Amino acid sequence: MTASKTDIPSAAAAGNRHRRFRVESMAMELIFVALVIVLIFAAPGFASINNALNVLRTISMLGIVAFGMTAVVISGEIDLSVGSGAALGGCITAAITAATMATIGAVPAVVVGVCVALAAGMASGYFSGKIKQLLNVPTFITTLALLTALRGVANMITGGYPIIDLPDWFQFFGAGWFLGLPVPVFFFLGVFVILHLVMTSSTFGREIYAVGGNAEAARLSGINVARAKTGALVITGLLAALSGILLSSQIGSGNGTIAIGMELDVIAAVIIGGASLYGGKGTIWGTFVGVLLLGCISNGMTLLNVSEYEQYVAKGVIILGAVMLRQYLDRRGT
Amino acid sequence: MTQPAVEFRNVSKTFGPVKALVDFSQRFAAGEVHALMGRNGSGKSTAIKVLGGVLAPSSGEILLNGSPVHFQSPRDAKAAGIATVYQELSLVPSLTIAENLFLGDLAPLRRAGGLIDWKRMNALAAGHLHHVGVDLDPRALVSKLSVGQQQILEIAKAMHSSPSVLIFDEATSALAQREVEQVFALMRDLRGRGVTMLYVTHRMSEIFEIADTCTVLRDGHFVSAAPMKELTPRTIVDEMFGAAEIARRPDRSDLRGARDLLVVRGLSRGSAYRDIDLTVKAGEILGIAGILGSGRSELLRGIFGADPPDAGEVVIDGTAIRPASPQQMKRAGVGFTPENRKEVGLVQAQSIHANLCMASLDLLARRGLVSERRERPAVDRQIRDLAIKVSAPEAAVSTLSGGNQQKIVVGKWLNSAPKILLLDEPTRGIDVQAKRQLFEIIWQEARAGLGIVFVSSELEEILEVSDRIVMLRHGRIVGEAQSADVTLHDLYATCLGE
Repeated sequence: MTASKTDIPSAAAAGNRHRRFRVESMAMELIFVALVIVLIFAAPGFASINNALNVLRTISMLGIVAFGMTAVVISGEIDLSVGSGAALGGCITAAITAATMATIGAVPAVVVGVCVALAAGMASGYFSGKIKQLLNVPTFITTLALLTALRGVANMITGGYPIIDLPDWFQFFGAGWFLGLPVPVFFFLGVFVILHLVMTSSTFGREIYAVGGNAEAARLSGINVARAKTGALVITGLLAALSGILLSSQIGSGNGTIAIGMELDVIAAVIIGGASLYGGKGTIWGTFVGVLLLGCISNGMTLLNVSEYEQYVAKGVIILGAVMLRQYLDRRGT
Repeated sequence: MTQPAVEFRNVSKTFGPVKALVDFSQRFAAGEVHALMGRNGSGKSTAIKVLGGVLAPSSGEILLNGSPVHFQSPRDAKAAGIATVYQELSLVPSLTIAENLFLGDLAPLRRAGGLIDWKRMNALAAGHLHHVGVDLDPRALVSKLSVGQQQILEIAKAMHSSPSVLIFDEATSALAQREVEQVFALMRDLRGRGVTMLYVTHRMSEIFEIADTCTVLRDGHFVSAAPMKELTPRTIVDEMFGAAEIARRPDRSDLRGARDLLVVRGLSRGSAYRDIDLTVKAGEILGIAGILGSGRSELLRGIFGADPPDAGEVVIDGTAIRPASPQQMKRAGVGFTPENRKEVGLVQAQSIHANLCMASLDLLARRGLVSERRERPAVDRQIRDLAIKVSAPEAAVSTLSGGNQQKIVVGKWLNSAPKILLLDEPTRGIDVQAKRQLFEIIWQEARAGLGIVFVSSELEEILEVSDRIVMLRHGRIVGEAQSADVTLHDLYATCLGE
């Protein structure tokens, strides 16, 4: 049997692409390492243990949400409501705790508050997913609506004043230390490991990739498209609430104005990490690197006395640059 | 010989280490239809892509009316009077026919202030369509057209720049007989006006109807060129394959006593199909014959629940499936390969491995967990059994040829341990040999006890592949016969309603 010619060039091209892809997919890691080296020498105080732990605590809140967002983006959707969802989660926890701890005791009060907050986060993700499924409203629209609505609800709960009647130990989760590390770091790493496994080793993760890569092909393969997308949104809603609880714990109060604009940083980290807003592409590891990169840049600029306003501009330039670099590398790969 | 309209002079094209086209020299006379034949990977697509400006040759040159041309892009080729009609539609579905015709060419229609003169555009479009002999409303949305009408519009669009050379790249592969006739009428008309045409197809019968000469390529090399009247299908196939290997249909198996795997009762959906009753036994291949627009693809999608029917029921191996959805059907043991495999049959950006496992994720998983290692045997088995040519299972599925992509779609479903396979136009756009291999696979799976429903716009194929044929016209069953008892002529007559 003679070999078919078409197969041969494509095979060769595919082989090349794979080999190159490995090197090029390390681009962000290399940039991260280069950045750290530059900051060690350029930014006073960057190389200290205290500063590193500080950076870790800060990025943990962001990273927890970014991993969920990665799944949502890979599924071909977006969630703009995570910042407001975080605020709502924090406020619900604080409000329930403050209202019930006198009657049922502090520990049960916090447990109930956290559970209700997490459930509310999941409900919000479920809502976006169902609206998409039933009415075919893009999640961009639904979650944009939730972005304002949830922030409103959070402030309605607090009445505009921070809720500060919380047990002192509640601060442990956001501001405490365990084994020499900030406590949120354990949540950050835990969520990273779990979602990495979900996306790489579960049928659910495979379905998310398939659905984001080609929703109709996935549907015709008998995959439940709505379940995959809604599932990713529910996870993200849950993680946004978790992040909000940790933030509230860190500042020791339930406050409706926390995490404003968080969605932009989260999406930026996901994009820098290589996920495609068209869906079907991205990794949890990539987002991990994206979160570290973003965190170090912010920290480095602060240490270098770059003003807040200039930092905004720099961040914008970095996001755009990262995407352009990624596209350039992808094009070279084909 | 008078000066040729198109001349390839020692044209080679290499992709890395692979020589796709080697030292190709050939002259194509003006005002004739030239067929370019060869199996997938023979270099014929490369040759026309070089001519159309899509690929730059690695060496050699192209002469247009005697003078060398160097195209950087399809745009350059178009400016020089070479237009291409592709198999893949390049129309914008959300725009009207007229807008598609004038896409990228709006300057002459601009009025003062930069506004578009819509009236004039529609009038010009109507004139052009009439000139080309196409009866379509220029204000109609392209999304409302059938695939066949879209292909005809595609040709009309290519003709819009009044090219002197027109390339047809599998342009008829989506069309039924009657629409092909329309295209041929158009081509004859163009030939009368001196247009030179290069015609690439997988359908042997077509070139005897329309072409003046036939050039055969094999493995990137020129094999032969001759006027059609000196050729027979046999000689062309011999030249395409070297030594031809034609699959013989196995004897039809005795299906008496086999159980009914698929029973369809009173299935209806809008105006697409109505009151359809069907039965497929275990081990049986049922062909559904019908021209484009007969409702054959719609019916198949309806059975699979991809577009749920309005009425009727589908019973799989004794169990009525409600509601009919792809998920439910997969669970019940039904697989479906869609007609537009490139768009919705595969996730192009993902690997061969991922695509082959896509319909069997739960089956290959243990407690919801998957691993490439555990899936690997299933992937390897399909690659081996279906003779899929791949460099590595990790390669993107988009790197494969059409025939191999189709095998991936079939293999994806074989991995789901199905009882029934619904195949919608599985042979579309794949070469003769891949088609043969696909038939072998279908026969083999039927022998293993699968029930198979086979839909094709090529009635010859249906006649060859199926045990039994149901004929569909305007969404209704108008005939049924054992394949052994029906002639191609009868089949055409019933499907066309003559």
